Amino acid sequence: MVPLARKTLVHEWRRFLPSALAVAFSGLLLLVQAALVFGIFNSSAVYIRKSAADLWLGYPGTQSIELGRPIPREAEIGALMDPDVTRVEPFHWIDGDWRGPVDRGGVSVFVSGIDTRADGLMFADVLSPDLRAKLDEPDGVIVDRADLSKLGLGIGGQAVINGHRVRVVGVGNGLRALGGVNIVTSLATARRLDNGDSNGEVAYYVAKVRDGADPDAVARRMSSGANAPRFEVWTKPAFAHRAVMYWMFETGAGLGVLFLAIVVFIVGAVITSQTLMGAVAGSIREYATLHALGIGFDALRRVVLTQAAWVGAFGLVVGGLVTAAVVFAAQRRDIPVQLDPATIAICAGLVMAIALLSGLAAVRTLRHADPALLLR
Amino acid sequence: MSPSLIAHSLGKSFGSGALRTDVLRDLSIGFEAGELSLVSGPSGCGKSTLLAILSGLLRPDGGRVIALGEDLARLAPVELERFRLRHTGFVFQGFNLFPALTAVEQVALPLGYLGLSNEVALKRARVALEEVGLASRMQLKPAELSGGEKQRVAIARALAKEPQLLFADEPTSALDAANGQIVIDTLHRIARTHGATVLCVSHDPRLATHADRVLAMEDGKILSDLRSPADPTKDMSR
Repeated sequence: MVPLARKTLVHEWRRFLPSALAVAFSGLLLLVQAALVFGIFNSSAVYIRKSAADLWLGYPGTQSIELGRPIPREAEIGALMDPDVTRVEPFHWIDGDWRGPVDRGGVSVFVSGIDTRADGLMFADVLSPDLRAKLDEPDGVIVDRADLSKLGLGIGGQAVINGHRVRVVGVGNGLRALGGVNIVTSLATARRLDNGDSNGEVAYYVAKVRDGADPDAVARRMSSGANAPRFEVWTKPAFAHRAVMYWMFETGAGLGVLFLAIVVFIVGAVITSQTLMGAVAGSIREYATLHALGIGFDALRRVVLTQAAWVGAFGLVVGGLVTAAVVFAAQRRDIPVQLDPATIAICAGLVMAIALLSGLAAVRTLRHADPALLLR
Repeated sequence: MSPSLIAHSLGKSFGSGALRTDVLRDLSIGFEAGELSLVSGPSGCGKSTLLAILSGLLRPDGGRVIALGEDLARLAPVELERFRLRHTGFVFQGFNLFPALTAVEQVALPLGYLGLSNEVALKRARVALEEVGLASRMQLKPAELSGGEKQRVAIARALAKEPQLLFADEPTSALDAANGQIVIDTLHRIARTHGATVLCVSHDPRLATHADRVLAMEDGKILSDLRSPADPTKDMSR
């Protein structure tokens, strides 16, 4: 069989280029939007993901880390008593009012009080032992590099949180989270900063389980303990998932983004189908001749759909490369972006669907053409 | 000899209501195999519509077409496509060749849909192109061919299927005298050597002298039906 679809694509690539670019831009929009959405919403779980804790103990029903409430010390004791738990660490979480240089006004911050030991669980992935050690300096705090300009000072700079003087002793990377500026400090400093509001109680305990133990089983066991109603136990993935779902679906922001994705899909499909129809219409007399010669619409549809698939594949590659460049550039500027294989596969599927639907729409122009009028 | 293509009181009109115009009115005619028949007449007389109906591209409002013993009205669209694929060839004024394909590929393309293997299709395409005198131009694309050569590729495309019915709509209108001559001679030869029923629609007066039979058409009716005097072997009083 003469490969009509491919030969026409190669020979008349200029005619198909607008369709391919329309597909590429649809893909770019879908992918970048997904990367931003997942980047932003996953940053709500950044504390959970970048810590080495397998289990989180918090106030019952807590949806997202910044909504934590103080929990009783029995939680820590309960965790320590479990045979599979090797380590338990308090994690203090308080709201703060940051007053930096005079011309900046106040900034709402979240203060994380962590265990500063070199092998501490909290922020194990983002804070080096050196940085952690710096927090042992009284009133020392670490901020994210990307937040420095917002806070208006650099390393060594001094500010006031909740009426207490603090000093920036270090800068971290990847501490940025959704909803506010995050400040990391030691448990002792955090306790000073909360002005005694929490009565010595902390919002979370994080725990590590023995190698080979099943965190889910440990969580279930701890949840059934005598003190269970006063705190809740989540595994690391469950708590992270909970935080992302909260931001995505309970805040309205996620539904807005989903709506936007639908709009992108429709706009992409309309533009692609229009340009592809134009490209197909350019050969309509030739197709009509083939139809006159007895070649059925099914066969002609296959030709057009093959072209649409190639246009889609080309657009996907171009869109993918541009997306990779955009995501790389965004990451270098600390813009939260994140793409996982499943998301990429879904976006790729949507883009191919746009191309193939457009191909089907283009075939319609063929079907509704009157052979007697076309064939002159 | 019985006609291979018969029209029974064909009627066709376009438009609607007061703007409705009759293009064909109660038209009956038969065409025989081995002949080149020419339908001529002013533009708008309905000759292209007649050709479209006779070839099964268009359904008439009234009347019947019997082609090769088959009542086209009884065929479902898919069956009609299969009938055209097996039995009919077309040549159009505009050549309608795919810009991306070489001459031999243009001709081989429909053969692939007939179920022929690539090898057989290309072989038959080469034979057809040789028959229309394009043996040396087989690997050229339409942009590299002259108008006359393009029309001969289109004829080879129709011919390679070995159709019993060959329809040509204004095949020479876009060509100069010499190329028009070559094209009509080729069509005539196909009728003779392949025993095909060749029906050509044209307002080009140059063609009349080359046809076996000339039909003049006006206002949707056949006005005259003449055998060519150049062909005394044919009997006029059929």
